[in-house]
Parts: sequence; structure tokens; C-alpha cells
Amino acid sequence: MTQRAFAGIERYAIGLGAAATGLVLVAVFYYPVATVFREAFFPEGLLTGSVFVSILTDPFYMGELGRLLSGEPPGEVLRRIASPDRQLGILGFTAYQAALSTVASVALGVPAAWILARFEFRGRETLRSLTILPFVLPSIMVAVGFVATFGRNGTLNAILGTVGVGPVELMFTLEAIVIAHAFYNAPLVARVVTAAWEAVDARAIETARSLGASPHRAFLDVVAPQLYPAVLMGATLTFVFTFASFPIVLALGGFQLATVEVFIYRLIRDLNYAEAAGLAILELVISLSLTYAYLRYEAANAVRRGASAPGRRKQLFPRTWTPTALLERFAVAGYALLAVAVFVLPLASMIWASLTGPAGFTLDHYRFLLERQATGAAFQVQPWPAVRNSLVFAVATLGVAVPMGLVVAVATTRRYRGRKVVDALAMAPFAVSGIIVGLGLLRGLVFGVEIGGWRITVAGAVAIVAAHAVSAYPFVTRNVAPGLEGLDPALTESARALGASRARALVDVELPLVWPGVVAGAAFAVAISIGEFNSTIVLATGTDSYTMPVAVERYLGRRLGPATAMGVVLLAVTSASFIVVERLGGYVRH
Amino acid sequence: MTRNGAGHITDPSTRRRFLATAGAAGASALLAGCSAEQTNGDETPTDPGDGTETEPGATAGSDGPDTLVVGTYDSFVDAPSTSPGAWIKETFESEFDATLVWQTPPNDVNYYIERAEAGVETDADVYVGLNADDLVRIDDAVSEPLFDDPGELTRRDRVRDGLEFDPEGRAVPYDTGYISLVYDSTETEAPETFEGLLEEDHRGELIAQNPGQSTTGRAFLLHTIHRYGDDYLDFWADLQENDVRVLGSWNDAYSAWMGGEAPMVVSYSTDQVFASQEGADLDEHQIRFLDGEGYANPEGMARFTDANAPDLAQEFLAFMLRADVQGEIAQRNVQFPATDDAELPEEYSQYAHEPPTAVTFGYDELAEGLEGWISGWERQFAGN
Repeated sequence: MTQRAFAGIERYAIGLGAAATGLVLVAVFYYPVATVFREAFFPEGLLTGSVFVSILTDPFYMGELGRLLSGEPPGEVLRRIASPDRQLGILGFTAYQAALSTVASVALGVPAAWILARFEFRGRETLRSLTILPFVLPSIMVAVGFVATFGRNGTLNAILGTVGVGPVELMFTLEAIVIAHAFYNAPLVARVVTAAWEAVDARAIETARSLGASPHRAFLDVVAPQLYPAVLMGATLTFVFTFASFPIVLALGGFQLATVEVFIYRLIRDLNYAEAAGLAILELVISLSLTYAYLRYEAANAVRRGASAPGRRKQLFPRTWTPTALLERFAVAGYALLAVAVFVLPLASMIWASLTGPAGFTLDHYRFLLERQATGAAFQVQPWPAVRNSLVFAVATLGVAVPMGLVVAVATTRRYRGRKVVDALAMAPFAVSGIIVGLGLLRGLVFGVEIGGWRITVAGAVAIVAAHAVSAYPFVTRNVAPGLEGLDPALTESARALGASRARALVDVELPLVWPGVVAGAAFAVAISIGEFNSTIVLATGTDSYTMPVAVERYLGRRLGPATAMGVVLLAVTSASFIVVERLGGYVRH
Repeated sequence: MTRNGAGHITDPSTRRRFLATAGAAGASALLAGCSAEQTNGDETPTDPGDGTETEPGATAGSDGPDTLVVGTYDSFVDAPSTSPGAWIKETFESEFDATLVWQTPPNDVNYYIERAEAGVETDADVYVGLNADDLVRIDDAVSEPLFDDPGELTRRDRVRDGLEFDPEGRAVPYDTGYISLVYDSTETEAPETFEGLLEEDHRGELIAQNPGQSTTGRAFLLHTIHRYGDDYLDFWADLQENDVRVLGSWNDAYSAWMGGEAPMVVSYSTDQVFASQEGADLDEHQIRFLDGEGYANPEGMARFTDANAPDLAQEFLAFMLRADVQGEIAQRNVQFPATDDAELPEEYSQYAHEPPTAVTFGYDELAEGLEGWISGWERQFAGN
């Protein structure tokens, strides 16, 4: 009897999972966001497109396109576009800086993937695990690290000074923003490309080589095509994230470089919801269009694969030094230097800031954390509950986001019309303005929904985990879906023909084949949960559910010391978590 | 971007931020925090998380007649340096036989506006931390009055001239800050006047903040409007020409200033109070009032119209105006008292500087101009 019940559940597992996923999405994402978005359509209570018309025809937001849409003669607009005083508009500029940030992130991320995937050295696994570390850092920490590294009196200028170059003025420029965005997103690119590179079948390269292809040719014809989808996926995600960037832009660039998210924030703060929602919807449309374009590309370029036999990694220090080997190691060394400047120095500066005060070296900032833990009032944020909550939420998020991500991955790799649209919509949690999501959660969950004379409110731990899972599952989906898509359908079909349910086939046949993607997605889920701020702050009720980033934020003051000390705790706890997730993920590989 | 996202917008001294810590209802167990309550009928609604709270300080539930719920911005109760919250709670409770519950909602006073507009009962009795522009915004957006007139407060007449900012008397000032320049005199000598900021000597030397995000940034913009009237945009065009940096929050600006990116920053005239506590070199923390003026930013408190404990709320407002309490708030919040008879130690004025002339815009002027001023500035400064 129970066995039959199990079989029944198993048969419908995927369907039930899909229903549960849909329910969570509606409750903590679509419905809350809709409560804010509707303001753009019903500014005065009546359906109207006037909000969009006024934004789309406003050259301040839309640049020359706005002029064109507002009915200026095309010839005149063309002349302006050709002239140096053409206007990009806030949306145009936002897209421009996002494009630059994407190029920089790819340029920094792909070489890292090459090194991590193709070379063997001590600590490679650990380094690989730590690549997503920048992902969880609060922007104020990154700003502190960047000022200390690239600022007027920063480390970079000190080093340049010793060799008689410089100083360079990097702060408050577009370059500073682009580098900081690369700091956040190059690791993401590196991560997905490394995974793809490791999955390249070495036998195919050998075949190509045995047929007379040069190593160069074999790379271009065999390896590269298998990397493009991963590179483009990293690029797409980077664009979407940097398109909605806000705090980094204003901390390192300044208001003359303001992005659309800056205006969304201000309008929301001043309770001007219609225009804010209008801008956020345009932001969403642009991001989702790009995502959709990528998904079409991904589907068209799916690499069919069975089991892969990964190639052997080269030793970082080869036994014999050929000219090629020398050149390669030279490139590795050059990249390592760059990586130290962009990733290591800012992190080290952050740690250094937590250990120094006006009078030099001090442990005062850590002492502050201990004191706050020991004597803080109930209404004050304390370090240990923050650490504990972050870990609990991360584990719970893992448990919710991975099944959600898998369900969506399965649902969007089946063949039906319009599935790429569904897939793109499933990515919406990445592409909606964080401020809008925060306000929506406040209205939709914290204040609750009135149903039949009852007001249902949701806040606290469950809501936080659900919100984190919603932010995290697209990462699981994107890490798993390309692999699933590339699997030979015959594998699943024969399992089904032998009587396995859809869920059984997924667990026993497909997942083991795409397991590295699942682990990568899981690591991202943990990273997203630990770093999440906007939803956590809205849904955290009382002193029982705030997290480490919230504590960092709370400890900001006139001196940055206490906040940077908490930031270092965040770094340490997160690093340990990533290493654990990936090591465990490796062990439980099917 | 849903990860680190836009929440990292803090102004510890201005405490304006969109999303801050909610100190509201407590929810301890993993399943806590979900609730259903009847919205019609006569029962007193309870708050989300009610019944699951673990600490009295963490919950807004069960407001009896002897519980006073006070909403405020988070650094008023939880700053890394000092904050008056704990002292006020302790003192008030010891004298009034009541429990004071601090509530620090995610988006400050906007949280209560949202609540009111969503038709959910406000769960606080008093809000501490209103600026004049908050009040304008609230009156503009909310259909039913959010705050009411607290009635006779015995000591209200002690509030100093020019600090009262609500023509309807709902908001009672409890302290004020003066926005000024803070500069490192080992690097530059700050100009005496606004015009001086345009000199070549001061090119790239000033860091200000985004007026749409930070109270200091907003105050500095308003100060230039007070000074130049409708020509303020011309002044800003020249200032931008002279390479002024407008960063995001007060924190962004102040940490860049501390990092030596520029020698002058828009901040508070109480800067030396902190600097001296930390044993910093005061030459690096000089105050400049441009044209001999500082922009006053009085902070007010008000009672919610649907307060559960209106009488206790009124007692609390009066308590906050008492001479001894005024002195403590000023010192612990590192601002100036609102009343003229606050008990402050002699040495406080040594480091906390008051401008020769305080300027500020009143409610009516802000109601008339604020929105246009800010968006006009944004459109000029960020146009690209």
C-alpha cells in the first residue's frame, strides 16, 4: 500500500514540484511585484498608458530615441545622433555602462576559467570554490576596498609611485564603476565557463588532433563552440545585474553617472510610484529581451553530449619548458597579477580596514562585535544571531531553491511552443529592480492579503527563505538546463520505456550526468541567500531573523571599523560555507 | 539586481534609507511569522508574529494601555557609536510604569504611510525622526491624516525659534543638526562663501551627496537654493564645472573623504564631537559655515492619529522635551537640542559648532518647491 502511494507520488513528483514552485513564485514574487507594477498602469485608478508615453518620449530618460518618439523630425534626430552632443538618456547610459561592465567581466572571467579548468596546482579546488566570494559582499565593503586600492592615496598609486609612474585618478569615473562591476561579475563568468570547460570531452579533442588538427585548430573547432554558450550566459547575467546596479554606481562613480535604478529609488522614496514602476517595467523589458535572445541562442547551440571524459589538467610548473609552455605560464602569471589587483587587493584592504583605527593597528572593531554580542539590547542587532540566521537561511534556501531550479529546468527543456518565453519569464527574479521587489514584499506579504474577511500576513523565517529561494533558483536552472538540453533524449526515453517515472529518470539518469551543474547552482543558491539584503530586511521581523549583511549595514557609522569587522566575519563564514558545499557536492556525486 | 542590491543606502547621521532593519513583530520559530486575522468585526486586530515573540523588546504585539510603541530610524536606537534609544527606553520606563517598544521599520516613516494606504492599522503610537520634507511628502500622498495634533505640551514653548516646521503643529521638534562643510585643513583652506567653492583652487575638492537619497545631500542642495533662489542651477552648473563630486549616501561621501579622495565634504557641524572622542587630529576635522550660514535640519516627533495609547504618547512627547532629556538626546544623538533650556555640559559647545546664522525652508516653501527643485537638479546634473 505505502509502496503504491510512493509510486503514485513519484509519478506526479515533477508535476507537484512544478505546482509548488509556481505557488511560491506567485506568493513571494509575482503577486508582490504586481502590486507595485500596477501603479504604472493605473496611476489615477484608471487604466492608462500615459506613464509609459511620458517616459518613452522624455529625452532625459530615452535620449535621442525619446526625441524621435516625441515626434521630432527624424532628420533632425539623425543629425543630433551624428553630432557630439547627442544624448544617451538615463536608460541609454545605463545600458552603455552595463555593456562595458559585461565586456570587462568577460575579459577578466574567461582567463580565470582557463586557468581553473586547464591547470593543476595546489589549492585549485579551494580557489575554485572561493570564486563566488565577491558575490556576497555588501557594496559598501567593496567601495571601502576600492577606495583603499584604487583611490588617490591607494595601494595602486603607491605601487605605481615606486616605479615612477602615475598617479592615476580612477575614483569617480566610469572606469571605477566598470572595474567594480567586474569585481562582482567576472567570478560569475569564470564559474560558469570553468564548469563548461571541465565538461568538454577530451576524446573529441584527441580525435581532432589525430585527424591532423593543430592544437590551435582543435581548440577553435572543438573546445570553443562548447564554451560559447557558457560565456554568453555569463555575459547575459552580468548585463542584467549591472543594468540594475545602484549602490556601486553612486559610491564609486557619482551622480553624474546615475543609472535608471537611482531614479527608481528616488521616486519610490518620494512616493511617486507610477513613474518608478514605469521605469522598472522598462528595465525589466530590456533585461528579459536580452535573456530571451540568449535562451534562443542556447537552444539553437545546445551541445549534444553523453558522458564526458574530462581532459587532464596541465601542471602549473611543467617538467620540461617548451616555448609554448613558457608562453602559457607567462600568460598565467600576467593574469595572476591582474587578478591580485582587481580581486585580492580590495579584499585585503577591507580586512586591513577592520584592523586599523586612527592610531594604527587595533582590535577595537572586533571588540565592538563582542561587546555588542554581550551587552546589546534586544532591539539591537547582534553578531552571533546574524551569523546563525545567515547559515540557517542558506541551508534552507539550498533545500528549496535546488528542487525549484530543477523543476523549472525540466519544464523548460521539454519541447513545446513558447517554452523560451516561459524560460525567460522564469528568469524575471533576476531582472526586476530590487527596490520594487522590496516594496512589493512589504505590501504583499508583510501587510498581507485580504481574503474573505481575513488578512493573511507572512513574514519572518519562512518568508525570508522563500524569497531567497526565488532569487536563487534561476541560478540552479541556468546551471542545469543547458546540460539537460544537451543530453541525448534516448537516455531518458529508454529509462521511461523500462518503467521509470519521469522523476526517477531525472534522479537516476539525468542528474548524475549534469551533476557539476547542480553543485554549481547549489553554491550560487548559498551565495545568493547569504548576500541577499533587500528582501531580508523587509521580511526580517524582530531580532530573530536578520542576517550578516543586515548587521554590516547596521554597524555602519561615522567610522567604518565595526562594519568592516562584521564584513570580515561575513567573508570568513561565507568562504567556509562555499568550500563545504562544493566538497560535499563532490562527495555525493551519483 | 536582487543580491546585494539597492538596499545598501545608508546615512547613519541622516538615517534615511529605504530598507532598514525591521524591529517589528517577533518571529522566532521557523514557522512563525505567518498569521491570519479577521479584518471585519470588532476584535482588536493583532500584529503579525504576535504570540510568537520571545523578547518584549522585539515585538509590537499586545499593545496594552501601558505599552508605548515608538517607530524611529535604526541608528536612533542602534548606532555603532552612541544612540539615545536605550537611555530613553530605560528612563521613560522607570518613570512612567510603562513599556516602551522601539520599532525600526524597513523604510522608516514610509512604512507607516504604506500601512495606512494599504488599510492596515498602524501599530505604533509615535514616530521619532520626521524631517520637514517627510511631512510634506506624507501630506501629499496620504488621504487620511497620519498624525494628529498632540494638544497642549507644557514645554513646547521652549522649542527654539525657527525649529518648528509644521504649520499644523503635529510634528514636535526634538533636536536639530546643522549641515556644513567639514574639511581637512592640512590639505586645503575651505572658502568662506559659496562663490569661493567655484575657485580654481578648490577644483575637485568637494564631496557632496545625492539629494534624492541623503538628508545631508538634500540639505546642501536646499541651502544653495536658499542662497541663489531660482538661479541655483547656474551655481550648480559652475560647481559641476569645478568638479564637485556628488556621491550616493552620507556614508559613501564620508568614507571617500576619510580615504583622502577630496579634502572637503558636506556633513554635520558636530563632526568634531566624534573626532575628539576618537582622538583624531582636529586640524583634519574643521567646520566651515559658508556665508556664515548652516542649514538647519530639525528632527520632529509626532503622534499617530490612530495611536493605541494616545495619552501615553502625549506624555512621551512632553518627556522628550524635558531639559534633562533634551540634553541627553543631544549628546547621545550628537545633534543640538530643540529647546532653549536643555541641560548640556559646558564642553559640549567646544566641539559641537552652531552656525552664526541658521537657515532652513519651512513647510510651505518645501510643499511648493521641493519636487521641482530636486528633479530640476537631477535632470541637469545627470543629463547625458
